[in-house]
Amino acid sequence: MTARVETPTVDERQRQRTEVAATREMTKARRLRRRDLALAILTPVLLLVAWQIAADTELIDRQLFSPPSQTLSRGAEMVASGELATHVFATVARLLVGYSLGAVLGIIVGLAMGTWRPLNAALGPTFSALYALPKIAILPLLLLIFGLTETPKILAVMITIFFVLQINTLSGIRQIDAGIIEASRAYGATGLRQFRFVIIPAALPSIFTGLRVAAGLGVIVITAVEFVASNNGLGFLIWNSWQLFQPERMFVGLITVSILGALLTFSVTGTEYLAIPWRRADRPARRRRTEKKR
Amino acid sequence: MTAASNVAYDATEVSKVFFARDGPVWALQDVSMRIEHGSFTCIVGPSGCGKSTFLRILGGLETPTSGSVEVSSDAGDQPSAAFVFQEHGVFPWFSVLDNVAFGLRMSGMGKRSREDIARDWINQVGLTDFEDSYPHQLSGGMRQRIAIARAFATGSPILLMDEPLGALDAQTRLLMQEQLVRLWELERKTVVLVTHSIEEALLLGDRVVVMTARPGRVKDDIAVPFERPRTVDVERTLEFGDLRHHIWEALRDEVLASVEQS
Repeated sequence: MTARVETPTVDERQRQRTEVAATREMTKARRLRRRDLALAILTPVLLLVAWQIAADTELIDRQLFSPPSQTLSRGAEMVASGELATHVFATVARLLVGYSLGAVLGIIVGLAMGTWRPLNAALGPTFSALYALPKIAILPLLLLIFGLTETPKILAVMITIFFVLQINTLSGIRQIDAGIIEASRAYGATGLRQFRFVIIPAALPSIFTGLRVAAGLGVIVITAVEFVASNNGLGFLIWNSWQLFQPERMFVGLITVSILGALLTFSVTGTEYLAIPWRRADRPARRRRTEKKR
Repeated sequence: MTAASNVAYDATEVSKVFFARDGPVWALQDVSMRIEHGSFTCIVGPSGCGKSTFLRILGGLETPTSGSVEVSSDAGDQPSAAFVFQEHGVFPWFSVLDNVAFGLRMSGMGKRSREDIARDWINQVGLTDFEDSYPHQLSGGMRQRIAIARAFATGSPILLMDEPLGALDAQTRLLMQEQLVRLWELERKTVVLVTHSIEEALLLGDRVVVMTARPGRVKDDIAVPFERPRTVDVERTLEFGDLRHHIWEALRDEVLASVEQS
């Protein structure tokens, strides 16, 4: 072959043009994503600034809506004195113990009901009826039985979480594709091995949906319980601030509770991401080498 | 009665009745069929004629309402039949490698050896670069190839396939048919394949069994004379056209009947 002069061919020029256009498109998509993020952050910041200004100019009642700056300094005081930590610790302990116990029990019972028909027949209707009962309504009964101890608080959370997980686990098993079960049987997965390799992974997405829903519910229930039946914890802090008319202390409590809820939900989502790798949409198949022709 | 030594399955007067809301449904009626070791049998029939049910009964996934299936114990302690399902039935939570190795894992083979065998079959079906991918990241045709590799990897001498290529587009299907012919000619397993496609049955099979509309009975049993190794070129021969016509003639009334049933 003779050496050729290095001038771009028509083909090459067309390719370059397409590449430039593709790069431009990508840059545009990235810019839009950055804009979305900026907007998402800007909204709460602007709201807080507006609140501060409105309070400073007496546009809103400073007594009721203590300006963010005051809430912040009150929060710093409470952190420094250890008051906030005491409340956070009390709530987190109750929440975690109740949540874990309820979740574990709910998953176990849900799995058992999903795989063992008589158990489902025996418990299903009763559980469905009990599910509709607002769990917070049984708090007085629990207080009657256990007195003003930690037990009724933890139990109230636990019962709430239990039903959510039991129902989600069961429906996760119900939704397993019959073809998958048949395939697993055909390949020799029966009994415990079917449970481990097929039923649990198949139900896992639904279980995690339950865990996420339960995280939010758990925070609601523990806060409500602490309103009435506790002398510590974040629920107590919020309620007590109302009684003492200390709005900025109340705001500190409210913000802390929402952070707690967000953290709990976030850790469930994170665990879900790690536990269910096959559901990640963001991992494209490897395609670097081309498939061999046969 | 014991099955002759070269017979893998001996089905005698197998009937199956399902109970639906508006009464019993006869899926199969007195189906008798002998399937020899190392043979490739294709079953064609109209939709709902119970051919899938028959396959499941052969594989022991369903029990016949009456009649019996003798399975030869020639295979010794070999794993039982390996299935390829219509909807592929690959496990979404396993990687391609784990899916293909699943049967071996269930039969207790160690990780190293089962993964070696699985990799070999992944290569055979042309998924080499995808062993760490999850099924949802792949196309329908690739998922079906996982299912086929999974079946071959078990090393089972018997393969039961329920419309394994039914969900594929026409071109992929042609490619996969070629692949199946090649794999089968390499391994000479006993295969029973249920299909809608007359061409597919003639291309792949040694024998084509035509079933009637519900309740499914054996209507015709045709030996396929084409030489092996086969390629898709047999479809261009005159004989192929004649056989296709013959089978369609047998099938036509049954398809009509099945359309009227539904």
